[in-house]
Amino acid sequence: MGLTDLMSMAKSNAESRGKILSKLGGRELVNCFQCMKCTSGCTALKLLELKPHEIVKLVNLGFVNELASSDIIWTCATCLKCVERCPQKASPYHVIIALRNLAVEREVKVPEGYLKAVSQILETGLAETIQKVVTNKMETFDRESLKLPKVTPPKESFQHAFMKMLEEK
Amino acid sequence: MILKVAVFWGCRILTSQYAYEMSMREVFPKLNSELVDLPETNCCGDPVKSVNASAANYLAARILALANESGLENLLIPCNRCHFAISEAKAVINKNGNLCKKIIDLLKEEGLQYNPHIRIWHVIDFLHDFIGLGEIKVAVQKPLNGLKFATHVGCQIIRYTDLGRVDDSESPRKLDELVHTLGAETVDYAEKLDCCGAALMHSHPDSALSLTGTKIKALQNLAVDGLVISCPECGLMFDTKQKDAQTVVGAKLNMPVIYYTQLLGLALNIRAEELGLHLNQSPVDKVLWHIPV
Repeated sequence: MGLTDLMSMAKSNAESRGKILSKLGGRELVNCFQCMKCTSGCTALKLLELKPHEIVKLVNLGFVNELASSDIIWTCATCLKCVERCPQKASPYHVIIALRNLAVEREVKVPEGYLKAVSQILETGLAETIQKVVTNKMETFDRESLKLPKVTPPKESFQHAFMKMLEEK
Repeated sequence: MILKVAVFWGCRILTSQYAYEMSMREVFPKLNSELVDLPETNCCGDPVKSVNASAANYLAARILALANESGLENLLIPCNRCHFAISEAKAVINKNGNLCKKIIDLLKEEGLQYNPHIRIWHVIDFLHDFIGLGEIKVAVQKPLNGLKFATHVGCQIIRYTDLGRVDDSESPRKLDELVHTLGAETVDYAEKLDCCGAALMHSHPDSALSLTGTKIKALQNLAVDGLVISCPECGLMFDTKQKDAQTVVGAKLNMPVIYYTQLLGLALNIRAEELGLHLNQSPVDKVLWHIPV
């Protein structure tokens, strides 16, 4: 759901706010004074109307549940310009990642690509499957025909460890 | 003396951006460096960050533990996103004692040891600062005089500065200087720091391609011979998906996109096929025509 719709019945929630702050582990989010340097340089603003300064303000006001349920947190292109340029080290990128983690914990609808990457890693260690490529001349190549070494996947003990980490909040 | 350096390829290079891998395997031995592949690697954690940041940090830490196994001090990471994920994980783990202990224990179960002291390099700073422009210049056999390129360094190797990054966050120069060393020129352009869009492919593919196409469109007005890149995610967007971006931005796109290591290989007189240039989807032939036989 869009943020505007969610905000029409919004309720501030101090507990959820605390959760995000603890995930941020000491980032000075409360120091944001809305200078909008983040939004003015945001890659996703032009296309998807992401306004990072609004996200930070809403978290500060306690509207965390609304944000976690909204589609807007999945529009960040992770270009990191806001982290670099924020004069107060409030770093909207990190706030957005914390909100995404909370959305996953609460099993809100998460873009499929991310969950697919996780299950792919559990299967082969890598987030992508090894592909054949087709050239402009319609020739097909794979790692073997390109004389590239074979990729060896990690052993099962890796899967156990990764699962353990995924289960922790 | 041959310098041995461990290399972590990440997922994108090992699974589809083969041209980057092929060209790196060709050029580094010519510059007295031997690449040592890490075995049994995993994803760096980048896509997992959005799902569970702690699990992502574990994945990154495991790469540093594998590098530790190799006994080498230097780790080369050619992918911008992997370079960032591992650099940031190192900083987070360093600050968070509980997480650090948990990760060390988990790695121990696999018989691995976490080592935060491994020096991380990207292709750009490894070539520019470690091997050095002088060494490269001496090795050039076919200078690329008369060619003019735009460079795209990408986002995550230059930001954010607190982590210690490869080049200046607002005015990166190293990739340009590396191109100059081969005899070619580069241009400064307004869209230089614009993102390729790769990270949006998971959630908003059309917007991602719109970013890709808009940048290529701007470059086509600059009369450059090609775009030089050094990240497999940027390669996926600007090269592999350039044709898909055409329909999104509604313009004809035909910009040659080439990895720096491919360009370097050409200047070192390595055959185009061995550098994987036949795998590029963009019209790199337009660049090859200018290279003397």
